Amino acid sequence: MTPKNIIVFIAAAAVSLAAANTRFGDSAHAIGVIKANGGSARHASHLDAGKDAYTLIATATVIPPYRGDARITLEGEPKLDCKLYSSGPVLDLGIRRHPVFREDTLFDLQPKDRIAIWAVIKPPAIDPVCGMAVKDDFVSEQHGGKSYRFCSDDCLNNFRLNPDKYKNNAAQGKYTLAFTDTATGKRVLDIPVLLGGKEGAGDGGHQH
Amino acid sequence: MADTSTKSASFWAEHRLWIIIASILILLPPLSFLFQFTQDSNFCGSWCPRMFFSWRKGQAASDFFLGFARSYMGVTLVLGVLASTFFLGRYWCSHLCPVGGTMETGSRIVPKWLKINFSAIPAPPVRYGYFAVYMLAPAVGLGSLCCNYCNFATVPRMFGAAFFNGADFAYFLRTAGLINLGLIVVFGFLAKGGRAYCNFMCPIGAMDSLSNRLGLKFGRRMNVDQSKCNSCGACSRVCPTWAIEIKDKAAIDHYSCMPCRKCEKACAKGAIAYGKTQG
Repeated sequence: MTPKNIIVFIAAAAVSLAAANTRFGDSAHAIGVIKANGGSARHASHLDAGKDAYTLIATATVIPPYRGDARITLEGEPKLDCKLYSSGPVLDLGIRRHPVFREDTLFDLQPKDRIAIWAVIKPPAIDPVCGMAVKDDFVSEQHGGKSYRFCSDDCLNNFRLNPDKYKNNAAQGKYTLAFTDTATGKRVLDIPVLLGGKEGAGDGGHQH
Repeated sequence: MADTSTKSASFWAEHRLWIIIASILILLPPLSFLFQFTQDSNFCGSWCPRMFFSWRKGQAASDFFLGFARSYMGVTLVLGVLASTFFLGRYWCSHLCPVGGTMETGSRIVPKWLKINFSAIPAPPVRYGYFAVYMLAPAVGLGSLCCNYCNFATVPRMFGAAFFNGADFAYFLRTAGLINLGLIVVFGFLAKGGRAYCNFMCPIGAMDSLSNRLGLKFGRRMNVDQSKCNSCGACSRVCPTWAIEIKDKAAIDHYSCMPCRKCEKACAKGAIAYGKTQG
């Protein structure tokens, strides 16, 4: 091994290690099991607050004896815009039966089926002081070239007094990607999705 | 001394591009032909060839081996690739892999003036530096290169997204997806020969190249007939993995060589051929 090769090896390892350590807060992968009496994910999915959009891949295996149709919803407040896509083949050659995904529902789940659902999640604009989702009647304020909207004069005044504390606040909270059996209404899989906040996020000392 | 008696250009040498295109058409979206036998639509899932051998810190042995069961087709594929390479050379990489094949085929339609020549960078130390981190970082809890930087996840989804598949399109909305796309473009489509990604940062390629080197004396490889070589360098210039160095004569680095056989076609003296290595 030449000295040049040793240096290149070390440099490649260093860059690779930095890449391996980099965590992208806008995506996560959940692995779970679908069970008749309530399935669970191996671990919660963590997403960083403040991104424009997130993608979550939920993969799961159906544990016998469950079979049925499961509707998928993203539950939690403030409400997040969530679009779901099934990772099915572009052209279904009909070689093997698989659940059909339509209108956010997996139809005809059968034991040992493996599913992969992609959720594209967009957080709502919030009042950066209290964290409420923005509504039409909120007052707006410009700061640093960005527009912010507030539920009340209290929140607006708090923001004016200390904009640096609040300006980066974004929607956060504990959510659940819930798979619910359409026939019984029972949860067959819960995937916790934690939209993490930055320091100072949340109610900002202002409760509703 | 190599036996270079196999002189007639074989089916594998003459029709490589078409074999690659057939592999892409069969394996990748929209057909995803083989994947659909296992309820999959791409390499993610039963066919994942990259994740099962990556041990994560704190992972129980049962979980580790459960990963083999989960990706049973990926395990079969990788074992088949390594075994075939040991005896026949890296035909998976050069002819059959639709991921590397897509990058190389794409690079053929990129104009020469846009191409990046990575051959100044020695490939094996980059490859094994990357591979060492690939294996060790998750084992000691320092992150992972496994899914976040996955060529086998990205390339099939490029095809899926082109056919407006929502899930595949969603992959490119994430930062990791865009970074992967950038890596595929820079080290694949824009690379001279289209194989810099394969040569630098494919973990299957890294293992395969070790199998290639280990099986050198037992199997068939690209060989140089030193008595015929006139050191013109034509072979070196066409090699997509910059595996040929011209010293006194052409010398093939079997850590990087895959039998694409471009060198064989380029050699006016007929000094390079695929065959059993002797000595």
